[in-house]
Amino acid sequence: MSDKPLVQEWTVRSERGSLPLIRLGVWIALRLGRRAARLFLYPTCLYFLLSSRKAARSSRQYLERALDRRPSPADVFRHYLTFASCILDRVFLLNEQIDQFDLTVHGEGVMLDIMRRGGGCLLFGAHFGSFEVTRAIGRCHRDAPISLVMYEENARKIRTALAAINPRLEAEVIGLARLDSLLTVAERLNRGHFVGLLPDRNVSSEDLVRYPFLGTPARFPRGPFRMAMLLQKPVVMMIGIYRGGRRYEIFFESLFAPSETAAADADAAIARAMSRYVERLEHYCRAAPFNWFNFYDFWA
Amino acid sequence: MNDSSAQNAQEAELARLIVKILNLQVPAMEIDPETPLYAEGLGLDSIDMLEVALAVSQQFGVKLRADDKDNVKIFSSLRSLSAYIQQNRGT
Repeated sequence: MSDKPLVQEWTVRSERGSLPLIRLGVWIALRLGRRAARLFLYPTCLYFLLSSRKAARSSRQYLERALDRRPSPADVFRHYLTFASCILDRVFLLNEQIDQFDLTVHGEGVMLDIMRRGGGCLLFGAHFGSFEVTRAIGRCHRDAPISLVMYEENARKIRTALAAINPRLEAEVIGLARLDSLLTVAERLNRGHFVGLLPDRNVSSEDLVRYPFLGTPARFPRGPFRMAMLLQKPVVMMIGIYRGGRRYEIFFESLFAPSETAAADADAAIARAMSRYVERLEHYCRAAPFNWFNFYDFWA
Repeated sequence: MNDSSAQNAQEAELARLIVKILNLQVPAMEIDPETPLYAEGLGLDSIDMLEVALAVSQQFGVKLRADDKDNVKIFSSLRSLSAYIQQNRGT
């Protein structure tokens, strides 16, 4: 969460595939349409499966916990394919082709409540399923703009990719490299924006706390929860699960409501919200195991 | 201690505020006003900075703005933050 160089495993390994390739992929996907573009996912997944043993090992390690059995090679392939499907669908979602999809929304009342009151909220997602699909719903509500906070390295890549897909959305991305990035977050929240982040990645933050997760304690960053408490904004967990075909299932649930706490027991409130987040994340991992997209040793 | 490492009254007040809200282990009066607040200096991270910014606006009524191009300079030390507060107080 600081401006120090990010040297951990996944940031160094970085997302694979270069920008010209992303551009080409986006162009092909939009030209061919979703159905034809999906055919490319199979060879692509096979290639990535065979070319990185480290990611495949992480996949097996995670699946064994989530499925409660030894994963077969087909499970690992399905894990990759789910990931690739969500990435491909992002192109269409960012291109505002939300009508292509069959969406079921749970807990929409939580969001409608917050929108009625105004004043913005934090949306906590995870590298799980499709954050994009939930964002796309938000985009339909013109009065509720969404920003997304992420590590600068990723922010830079995503801005470039967005430039290729839907340049209007570039301003939605807030990178964390700057000292005053969080002032931007605070200002947008105060203007009634929704600000999303994915507080499951346990890297490049010193403030990590262990919580039991799928059988073994794993580290989770405390920073985003501390920030929520400081800003005294409601926090909503949002998860978009890919269910195969054109189907997505979206869940909104309240993680934290500011009126619940006095400043005095902020630490206890942070711990409560974190433990709830991790519990719910585990719940979703069991409910839709192949939607987990942290392809590194999460329990390190 | 030479002159540049001595806190003036406003810097001392700000130092006490920062130490209090962030629960720092350093005594407020020992913070060198020229030491960087973030990273290798006092070690504040971006959330600490947010906390400081919120406290400064509450206590001194001075708002730190995200679009201020000088933020890095303003936050570079106790001295520069204190100077910024004095300049913008009550305006």
